[in-house]
Amino acid sequence: MSWRYRFTLLIFLSLFILVLTRLFYWQVVRASELAVLGKDQYGRQMTLTATRGEIKTSDGFEIAANKLSYLVFTNPKEIKDKKQQAEQMSPLLEMDEASLSALFTLDRFWVPLKRGVENKVKDKIEPLKLPGIGFEDQTVRFYPEASLAAKLLGFVGKDENGEDKGYFGLEGYYDRQLRGKAGLAMVIHDASGRPILSKMSDDFGKIDGRDLILHVDRTIQFMLDSELKKGIEEYGAAGGMAAVMNPKTGGILALSSFPTYDPRHYQEYTDTLYKNPFITDTYEPGSTFKPIIMSSALDAGLVRPDTQCTSCDGPVSIGGYEIQTWNGKYNPNSTMIDVIQHSDNTGMVFVGRLLGLDRMISYFQKFGIGEMTGIDLQGEVVANMRPKEDWYPIDLATASFGQGITITPIELLTAFSAIANDGHRMEPHVVQSIQTPDGQKREISPKVLGSPISSKTAKVMTEMLVNAVDNGEAKWAKPKGYRIAGKTGTAQIPVAGHYDANKTIASFIGFAPADDPKFLMLVVIDRPSTSIYGAETAAPVFFRVAKKILTYYGIPPSE
Amino acid sequence: MKRPVFLIIVILLIIVALAVVRVGFENSISTTGIELVNLQSQIKTYKKQNALLKEQYLETSSLTNLSSKAKKLGYVESKSQLYLSIPLPLALKQ
Repeated sequence: MSWRYRFTLLIFLSLFILVLTRLFYWQVVRASELAVLGKDQYGRQMTLTATRGEIKTSDGFEIAANKLSYLVFTNPKEIKDKKQQAEQMSPLLEMDEASLSALFTLDRFWVPLKRGVENKVKDKIEPLKLPGIGFEDQTVRFYPEASLAAKLLGFVGKDENGEDKGYFGLEGYYDRQLRGKAGLAMVIHDASGRPILSKMSDDFGKIDGRDLILHVDRTIQFMLDSELKKGIEEYGAAGGMAAVMNPKTGGILALSSFPTYDPRHYQEYTDTLYKNPFITDTYEPGSTFKPIIMSSALDAGLVRPDTQCTSCDGPVSIGGYEIQTWNGKYNPNSTMIDVIQHSDNTGMVFVGRLLGLDRMISYFQKFGIGEMTGIDLQGEVVANMRPKEDWYPIDLATASFGQGITITPIELLTAFSAIANDGHRMEPHVVQSIQTPDGQKREISPKVLGSPISSKTAKVMTEMLVNAVDNGEAKWAKPKGYRIAGKTGTAQIPVAGHYDANKTIASFIGFAPADDPKFLMLVVIDRPSTSIYGAETAAPVFFRVAKKILTYYGIPPSE
Repeated sequence: MKRPVFLIIVILLIIVALAVVRVGFENSISTTGIELVNLQSQIKTYKKQNALLKEQYLETSSLTNLSSKAKKLGYVESKSQLYLSIPLPLALKQ
């Protein structure tokens, strides 16, 4: 009795353990695999691509939006007359017949034919009711203003996984904010493939990208783009760039650069055109740098506007080099006002010597020279300042008039904002706020990077710059009745250890109205051929844009 | 003896009533899947129309387009402005 009982119990126990082991195998070891198989039987999982956030100018216009497009695909097994179908589709898809025929002969159920097909093309193909042809909805980036502000915006290309990715400019810098997060949707269907109401989940986990609202004013951007382009053509220049900033907030109102590209067809352009030279290229600023040195000396109390230059009666010799004025004319006993007005190199050497190396380097740091400005665009570079021990007397002298020192245009614009903004240097920013898909806005507050000079110094320097515009070389181009503070610049280009005498970078930097600046602008013309001087090339472009901006803002002449 | 029979009849009636309600309810929602598909298709159509109209609006109202159309129509840029008021100076001469 007892052994039979025990034997039966053992059999049952063994069977129980066997069942338990098998259950463990199915429900634990292969659980995830079986779950996927199960899901496949009653539904299908699909990836929902997040809609990329839009980029809007300050007037709410979508300067980078999303456009509906289609992926045309085929199931070659359903096509009977492959040659005839290739003939029909070739002109519509703008693909050659041979390529289409080759795709139609592939032994597959799904073959993509062309991406980014526009709706009007789809409307022409659909009525033909061609067998084995289908369309899949897609969105592509759309830039309604074409190449306007292209280098500011960047473009959307593909990453290594074939997913959309922003490159350069705002598209690159804010890619993570713009791209959002893809979601997974489980669509559960009945035997005939219809979705079941209670078991359908929609955009589970999908988070659309955030919108960017810019400081950029579309009208100012348009004016800057057209005037800069016109100027480059008029002066036979190799290129040019310009930016307009609100000196009180650091908000970038417009930024242009030529030659440029169309972000809608970025593949058709050379890679070198993608970068934005205003933040990626360094240059020797020349005379536009003089106000930085002069305001440093004024702030340090070393000179006053009426201080007379004691070494301006002829060329200055330093370490075997001779420093001359740009026009060979010398003005003995020039005041500091005259030095800025005549853009006198020898006068600036006088100021530089008074300032001395330690103070000059200290003011460079305060003005942010040799540091990233922190602008929210991809690719900003900075030329590092050489160590103090590597400075020779000639370097101090040339740096005083903006040669032998390299900076980016954005660095100069940011440094200049201190003069236009009561001594406070602002961080340049393109994006004003970020908006989430549910409408919440996160404002980006203006940031003061430092106060290199006092408010009093800024006002004195402003008056000296107003005088330079009213009585300097570029006075002929100035719009009448407005008080504009500014400075011309004609920088020589270093080539193989010496400066090229015929090739210059002409520039003009300034702000208006001088008493309550609404904008600060830097115009840089690269190697103009009609004239090498900033006063004859960059200045007219600056004043034409300034006049338009003042009119656009409704600011009447004050004089 | 009577009570259990009555109880059984009541329970049976409830079961039948609930079954009828369920059949009726399920019958009424059986076509909802199709309606849902139709609604989704309508949403898709409207979304598509909205996207196409937005695209047209953006292209038409872009400054690049407006500027070239204005040029074609013969509009020219105004070179001078007339200001109706000039701000007074901070201090007036006696």
